[in-house]
Amino acid sequence: MMFRHSSNHRSVTTAPWQLVCGLALGIASGLAGCGTGPKAEFSYREATQKLIPVARKAIKDTLEDGFGTPHNLVAWERFPVAYGGAKASVVAAAEGVQPASKTISVSVEGDVSKLVSGASVLWLTGTRAGEKAAADTVDTYDTKTKTLTWSGSAEPAPGVGDVLIVGFGHALQKGRAVYMKNCMHCHGVSGDGNGSTAQFLNPRPRDYRLGVFKFTSTLSAEKVSRDDLHRVVKYGIPGTYMPSFLLLGEEETKSVVEYVRWLAMRGEFEKRTDDDLGDFTEDSIVDTVKKSKTAFDAAKVAYDATLKAGDKDAVKPDAPIKLTDARKSATEAFAKFQASDLDQAVEDTASFLAEAWTRADDEASRIAPTVPRVADDAASRERGRLLYMSDKTKCYTCHGLLGKGNGAATEDFWKKPGTEELYPRRGLHDAWGNPLQPRNLTLGQYRGGRRPVDVFRRLYAGIKGTPMPGFGKTALKDEEIWDIVNFVMSLQYQSPQPAKTNAGGHVVATDMPEAK
Amino acid sequence: MGKLWSLFFVFSAVIAVALCWFAPDWNWWFPGDGKAHSTLGGKIDDLFHLILIIVAVTFIGTQAALGYVLWRGATIKPEEKALFSHGSHSLEVIWTIVPSAVLLFIALYQLDVWAQFRIKGAIRDSHGKMVRPEPVAELTARQFEWRIRYPAKGKPLQPKPQPDDIYSVNELHIPSGRPVEVTLRTDDVQHAIFIPELRIKQDAVASLKIPVWFDALDNRDYEMLCAELCGWGHYKMKAKVVARSDEDFDAWKEQASAEQFDDGFRKPVEAK
Repeated sequence: MMFRHSSNHRSVTTAPWQLVCGLALGIASGLAGCGTGPKAEFSYREATQKLIPVARKAIKDTLEDGFGTPHNLVAWERFPVAYGGAKASVVAAAEGVQPASKTISVSVEGDVSKLVSGASVLWLTGTRAGEKAAADTVDTYDTKTKTLTWSGSAEPAPGVGDVLIVGFGHALQKGRAVYMKNCMHCHGVSGDGNGSTAQFLNPRPRDYRLGVFKFTSTLSAEKVSRDDLHRVVKYGIPGTYMPSFLLLGEEETKSVVEYVRWLAMRGEFEKRTDDDLGDFTEDSIVDTVKKSKTAFDAAKVAYDATLKAGDKDAVKPDAPIKLTDARKSATEAFAKFQASDLDQAVEDTASFLAEAWTRADDEASRIAPTVPRVADDAASRERGRLLYMSDKTKCYTCHGLLGKGNGAATEDFWKKPGTEELYPRRGLHDAWGNPLQPRNLTLGQYRGGRRPVDVFRRLYAGIKGTPMPGFGKTALKDEEIWDIVNFVMSLQYQSPQPAKTNAGGHVVATDMPEAK
Repeated sequence: MGKLWSLFFVFSAVIAVALCWFAPDWNWWFPGDGKAHSTLGGKIDDLFHLILIIVAVTFIGTQAALGYVLWRGATIKPEEKALFSHGSHSLEVIWTIVPSAVLLFIALYQLDVWAQFRIKGAIRDSHGKMVRPEPVAELTARQFEWRIRYPAKGKPLQPKPQPDDIYSVNELHIPSGRPVEVTLRTDDVQHAIFIPELRIKQDAVASLKIPVWFDALDNRDYEMLCAELCGWGHYKMKAKVVARSDEDFDAWKEQASAEQFDDGFRKPVEAK
């Protein structure tokens, strides 16, 4: 466990997670060698791996600096993660003992039980703050007299009013333990949705590294809130392999939510930094060389032609850029960039993420209907059905005329976002590139929760990372959204009306709104 | 050497009996506090104890005989002649008839408990009355959780979901103190509901709706697990049974229903 305080980094504690091997398993795999599992490592994005070596190294260093490794987490203070620990401030230095004793009396806000022998002590302000007091730990804490002694150097002595955190990073470490035990085998060590069981699952486990979560209560531009993640961990996502962890307990759930948020921040930080360094990829170098070669070839043809024509003054075209030279110049350009702009880019990304994740928990980011649910009667459902069929929402194009999730859009080939390339498969895809089935609304299965407000929020802000758009504020009024909610939630209980047929068995009327 | 062996076998038997005797005091016996918390559970425990006594008597008898034979063999005097016996028809008849009688007795004696667990809820009693307990919930096992559907307060459970049904996950709420029926289903592979302290265990089989009849005597939470290795996440199917008095059960239903039908609209707090 490390702590990152602006530019000061300091080690707090290290508690490597180890895979404990069960007795039965130990006997079964005794020959294969069992004991500790493979060392947990954070993986890097494909985009990171494609960068030129210097850029790749810069990103990996930045990530390790800011987030550490699974065995040695770094808590980057500027990210809005509840890293845990009990905050205390110095009330008085103990008197009478000279030279400077390592005893202070403190007032503790928060959990006093964190003040156990061996817990880390982190000085936030005062003379001890910073690099020097790196190895301070609690020696003893007397709950009656509220005096704390620390082990570590005695000098410099802390002053009255200095703030310290005991057991900093406790929550993140706990989150890691819970995550490794319950989540890692699907969501992966890095939260890349690529754990060992992930390959057997459809839908795939969430890859947190885009910083995008589907089922949120927040506006469409906002991140997921803590409450949303908490709900998902507690109640699971029906229709997927995400089970309910209701009996995990409040503290463990909270800490694992923090850890998941932290992994998401790490992942998105990497992605955004990758995007910043998009020019320094191996591919772009090869591309430059290729282009230069093509340009040279064209110029060469022209040159030869002019020579043949007897023009002695023709200018010989410049030789094409060699791959080695291109690499060299890219490396030089990166060195320049690293010296001048990289820190700022990292800084910008970090502050962008910190703000976005802080905003997610703001009351203002949460979608709250401005009107209560419209009475769920036949009239409302009918209004909802007409809206569902209207060109204003186009719900039916994906979810189908009968809400079975088989709309025409599922038969089309769709473009990969940002490219002209088509997905190899028909149908919709999500932001992670996985095939996506529009929800069959007749099953009564609500992945984001079955409360009316949940369905309202899906319609208001859409589902992040998917083609499901949001209609709130712009296309639909809250009352209209409620009408659609009433219609959609009634679908489960309606048997599709048998089409009226005439004597010959031909359909004479369909359940469609009149064309306007 | 022979004496040592005869003592060894006698002692192992003595230790086994002693351990079983003291096990309940050390909480090495039944799960939880060691008591069955359902009516049927008490009867199942009685059956268990009956069989245990029969087996214990047999065990002690055979071990004593074994010990005696070993001891006699070890201490036999050189001049003493061993008795040769080649079968005894009457002995064979005895040790066939006695165990058969014991097994037949057990088979008949347990019928009532078995019928209560599996059959009595579906047939008429001697007065021609159905004694089928009230269905309170539909419990669907899936990889790897329990999803539960309840009828709205004051309504009977319908085979198909109703708009006012209440849902919970991994928490089975039941009224305590009276027999209830839980319809057991599975969404995918075979699972099994196991509530150790209520002595209830029943497989959930794909495409079947299996009624499980039981009662919980005390208002408390009981552990509930999956007892069928159902896949890599089997261990995650940790759940609990929440048994409460009728009032508390209804109160929970009201509260759960209010939460489930929450439309998220809150009246703006008036400025003071």
